[in-house]
Amino acid sequence: MPITVHLDDMLARRRMSLTELSEAIDITLANLSILKTGKAKAVRFSTLEAICAVLNCQPGDILSFQAEPGKSHDRTVRFPP
Amino acid sequence: MNGLLFVAIAAGLASSWAFHGFYRAMLVKADPTVDVAAALLGIRLLMLIGVAMTIASDRLLVPLASIAASAAHGDPFAPANAAGLRQIGWALLALQMLDVPCALLARFWPSLGAAAPAGDISVGGWLATLMVFVLARVFATGSAMRDDLAGTV
Repeated sequence: MPITVHLDDMLARRRMSLTELSEAIDITLANLSILKTGKAKAVRFSTLEAICAVLNCQPGDILSFQAEPGKSHDRTVRFPP
Repeated sequence: MNGLLFVAIAAGLASSWAFHGFYRAMLVKADPTVDVAAALLGIRLLMLIGVAMTIASDRLLVPLASIAASAAHGDPFAPANAAGLRQIGWALLALQMLDVPCALLARFWPSLGAAAPAGDISVGGWLATLMVFVLARVFATGSAMRDDLAGTV
């Protein structure tokens, strides 16, 4: 999965448990676990907004993209360095 | 029930050769002027259509029972149900197609007499067939959307 979720890192930095976060943003612990373990297919903007508001961070602090080695991206645009 | 009907019609069809004399006697008794060979062939064709109809009905009823059971469980939007609806659509199409030989027998086989089928082409049946295929597409899309939603946080 080229998109990685760093929710656990962010929670550790903020010294917050997943349960506390789920209570703070009113999302079930099961759904947050799905997000944390990278099993989610999609994230709602409202969820992302709530997480960023509570953890005082940016979406980029929680999500990152890493191209899969050996996988060609047809729509990849080569930018000059 | 449908299986019993299949066995009964298939047995009747087989017995038309095994007990040829009995059938001949029965036909002559009903109408002494009847063309026995033509009437017997017509009856065999009717029973053959009947066998095909029971097979098509079975292909319709089995997935229908499965869909009804999944709906009772509260989970009707499943890919399996979309496939089941498509199967029902094909079975309905087969049943509509089988109306054609019935209509031909009714119109061009006078030796069948009172045994001739109604032989109507059902407009409602064709519309229902089309609707089931459309519904199968709706279910396929709906189940895919539900899968996506299940993975959305």
